[in-house]
Amino acid sequence: MTDYWLSKMFFDLQTPAAAEVYRADRAKVLARYPLTPEVRAAVLADDVAYLSRLVNPYLLRYYFSAAGMSDAVFLQRIRAAGHGAGKASDG
Amino acid sequence: MAELVGVFAASHAPLVARDWEILPPRVKTDLRAAYGELGRRLAAARPDVLIEISPDHWVNFFLDNLPSLCIGVGEAHEGPPEPFLKSFPHRKLRGHAPLARHLLETALREDFEPSISHHLILDHGFCIPLQRMELDELPPIVPIIVNDLEPPMMSIPRCLAWGRLLAKAIAGFPRELRVAILATGGLSHSIGEPTMGAIDEPFDRRCIRLFADGAERPLVDFLEPALLETGNGGHELRNWVIAHGAAGGRGFELIAYRPVPEVYVGCAWASWEVGRAA
Repeated sequence: MTDYWLSKMFFDLQTPAAAEVYRADRAKVLARYPLTPEVRAAVLADDVAYLSRLVNPYLLRYYFSAAGMSDAVFLQRIRAAGHGAGKASDG
Repeated sequence: MAELVGVFAASHAPLVARDWEILPPRVKTDLRAAYGELGRRLAAARPDVLIEISPDHWVNFFLDNLPSLCIGVGEAHEGPPEPFLKSFPHRKLRGHAPLARHLLETALREDFEPSISHHLILDHGFCIPLQRMELDELPPIVPIIVNDLEPPMMSIPRCLAWGRLLAKAIAGFPRELRVAILATGGLSHSIGEPTMGAIDEPFDRRCIRLFADGAERPLVDFLEPALLETGNGGHELRNWVIAHGAAGGRGFELIAYRPVPEVYVGCAWASWEVGRAA
């Protein structure tokens, strides 16, 4: 299932200036998007596995890079999410 | 009349740009050699215009409006927005509006329904091959964006049909013009999925064999199911299939294939000899 507003936030954060604001104050940026409490909590917890089911995998990868997560940590978490996670295979 | 003078394809892994300075020397040597040979062949074709086929990596389009295929008809296009492509030497790239509009009008006349854009930003998919080929001068570019990122996507038979349509449209352009096609993306890779980093070498080698064999049906029969199984980056093979269709399914020549785990991509470079008889 695609979460439009989560996807929209990840899309918007591709701009370096927007990503800088986000890294400085996540709560302020999160407040601009009508996310469900569960999704908001997953974002704040950097829950890669949970979020991977809700957005396009490319946006997921860009978001965590913009949020400051290293490639190594992202790879470890997305691989731990296991097969069945990830949205692209839906199609 | 215009003439199709060359058809080419190349991978466009972003880490080729972002991590260039830290890639192992042997990888850089391989990448330089492959992109260099591609650039040499493209320059030898002496194109007046380059039709470049690439996905949009969430730069121009979002879920609000996601075209399956979009033709850029602008007189100019914006350069890449990615911070790791700050060194790309062109902030503006020349377009070729007359050919682009002719492609669009031919498509509509032939019952294809592309989207149209008067202002496109060309991201790393377009610009990494352009940068690494180190051409002395970039020809004007007609960008064609194909949705390779978010399902549902165009079928493989439709991609072949698009390729044939491009060839027909070029042949019908009523001015002398040398036109080349460059498809970018692929081969196998996986982005933002649990398999991220994996390169599906058997998939890549099968694709290469099928392009070399040329026949359309086996390519369709393999790719339609295989693209659902391999990593999501494999969907960019659609652009190669469009190139294959434009070349009439003939004359494929592999320049190089290198699985490059450092950039997460099974990288390949190829050209089609467009003058070869059936």
